[in-house]
Amino acid sequence: MSDPILSFDDLTVQFGGVRACDSISGSVERGSLFALIGPNGAGKTTLVNAVSGVYKPQPGAQVQFHPVGKSIEDLLAYRPYQVARLGVARTFQNLGLFMGENVLTNLLLGRYIHEHTRLIEGGLFTRRAVKRELAARAAIERVVDLLDLGAFRREQVGDLPYGVQKRVEFGRVLAMEPELLMLDEPMAGMSVDEKQDMIRYIYSAQDELDMTVFLIEHDMGVVMSIADHVMVLDFGQKIAEGTPAEMQRDERVIAAYLGTEVEV
Amino acid sequence: MTATENPATQQASNTYRPSTLQRFLPFVIAAVVPFILGATTNDLNFWWKAAITVAILALVARLAWRWTPRGELTHREDMRLWRTPSDRSWAALTMFGLLVLPFILASDFTPPMDFPWATWFAVVNLVLIFAMGAAAFNLLVGYSGQISLAHVAFLALGSIVGGIVGVQWSGGNMWLALPAAALAGAVVGAISGLPALRLKHLYLLLATFGFHFVMMLVWREYLQEYFGFVGIRFKGVNSPRIASWLHWLPGIDPDENGEFIITGQFRWYWVLMPITVLSILFMVNVIRTREGRAFAAVRDRDVSASLLGINVARSKLMAFALSSAVVAMSGVLASFYIGSRGEDSFNVQTVLNYAIIIVVGGFSSIQGAIFGSAFFWFLPEWFKWAREELWFVRDIDFLSDYPSEIDLAIKGFLVVIILMFKPDGLAGMWRDFKSWLGRRLARNNP
Repeated sequence: MSDPILSFDDLTVQFGGVRACDSISGSVERGSLFALIGPNGAGKTTLVNAVSGVYKPQPGAQVQFHPVGKSIEDLLAYRPYQVARLGVARTFQNLGLFMGENVLTNLLLGRYIHEHTRLIEGGLFTRRAVKRELAARAAIERVVDLLDLGAFRREQVGDLPYGVQKRVEFGRVLAMEPELLMLDEPMAGMSVDEKQDMIRYIYSAQDELDMTVFLIEHDMGVVMSIADHVMVLDFGQKIAEGTPAEMQRDERVIAAYLGTEVEV
Repeated sequence: MTATENPATQQASNTYRPSTLQRFLPFVIAAVVPFILGATTNDLNFWWKAAITVAILALVARLAWRWTPRGELTHREDMRLWRTPSDRSWAALTMFGLLVLPFILASDFTPPMDFPWATWFAVVNLVLIFAMGAAAFNLLVGYSGQISLAHVAFLALGSIVGGIVGVQWSGGNMWLALPAAALAGAVVGAISGLPALRLKHLYLLLATFGFHFVMMLVWREYLQEYFGFVGIRFKGVNSPRIASWLHWLPGIDPDENGEFIITGQFRWYWVLMPITVLSILFMVNVIRTREGRAFAAVRDRDVSASLLGINVARSKLMAFALSSAVVAMSGVLASFYIGSRGEDSFNVQTVLNYAIIIVVGGFSSIQGAIFGSAFFWFLPEWFKWAREELWFVRDIDFLSDYPSEIDLAIKGFLVVIILMFKPDGLAGMWRDFKSWLGRRLARNNP
């Protein structure tokens, strides 16, 4: 049973006197849909940032990533771009898109780690560069089809509605073909219909493209319906972990969300 | 998924119809090329003229054939530099114009009202040199978002390399100096980009401006060491020439010493134009492939770029290296074309000139650099002519008394106007004009 793709241990991130994450441990099973929930300011995004190398956690922390068929990597030894090349992709809560570029360019940037065209090759537009460019376009075509982005191909991302922008960003991480997909509130600010579409997309990413999904989400309803395993944070502390059904019954979780006074 | 299923198309394409421009282009070429070749003073023989005309026509026909969309666009078609028929028509017209322009300028045509025909050739050549440098500068500042004021330092570097390799080592071998300058520009450019790893915006601007002064110091020391205060002369014995093994080419007739020296506007044009066009194409190709996209990603959001696997530091340095390499090459060309470079050839005013060029031309596009440098050189020439020939301008003493100040004032004023009302600059206006024209033609020809 236990075959974690990602495990983190004693992960502490401190900003001055604030402990945004306080020695959090946990692991994500390969192929599962892991959800991280918690109220505002619980440290969810900080945890993802620490795993993907944007923040440096306090010494003593361990983050291990185990790609299929390769040795276990200690992610803390790598810089963000190297983490991405190992096969960990993530989206941003407040969109990490390149607003001045069109949808096509944004998606093609997702193929950056898979293409290998060098600057001079690209400038000379050699046969090999063209071939690689065509391969990249064929690869993002799958994503475009999956996410129904065909109509927006040449539109500038900054001009698109928010829901579509979210989809483009999701498409970009799918184009990276990561083994571990970390989604930071992919459904924030969406309508109910858009949320349902997004859930469908996440499912198909998990099934068809064979990715493990690490999901941060605010919306309890969504999490309860799709997650395999849930971890709950509050004020930088892990307060509970288990299946969605267990979490719904857990008093500390209810307290964190509804604010009831409970003795822990 | 096969490429043909791709819906990457804007027009639903079985109803494709060539635009008016496209339909008439081959006829225009067929009519004009023999005339131009005949009118030039170069004594090409008949067979060369016929061969050139046929070659140009064949090229146009081949491109028209190949580029006509049949069915939906494939990925390969979607990737083309000139995607739409109208893009292709404009590109073909531009290409044709570039080929024809020197013949027109070299003819002994005299426009009415003493329009200074002869000086315009020199201006066109300067526009070519500046367009190359400004396009590279725009790639760095506009496209990659790394604010830099060090580009004139790289013009100076180009002159230094031109001096060392082209004059001191090889006595006028510009062909050797060009790649050497590109290499030196890339290395020094990457070093000058190091502050960009820590600094952004205004701070980066100041750091790179500091680099400008360091380079000026190097330039002055170099001049004094080898050339004295007179400066380097790239003219005369140091003029570039075509190697003797290339003398069989058409249009190249060696002088009595058996040499073909590149001198005079017409010959320079044929050196500058291909180099400028090719280097701009190189940069455009970079932009539309992997590393160029990474430049844009780093410009827009560097954290998110790094999480896509882009090594942000490396990407920034590459943008600096590429831009500086091209600027250094344009520095070599400028040195050999202008013929002499002295102590005050590279001043702060030149830095501002390039800034004016890319702001007026359009901050966001390589095309803007071309428009900007054309504007930058044509405006003063036109203004000079207007002061001398147009009665309603000539009568205003104020304009004749302070010509260069007014030039500068007009440019400054235009920069403000453009920044306020049309941030896309001349390139944006050109885009608007093209789409307007496209709509007009579509309405008349449904």
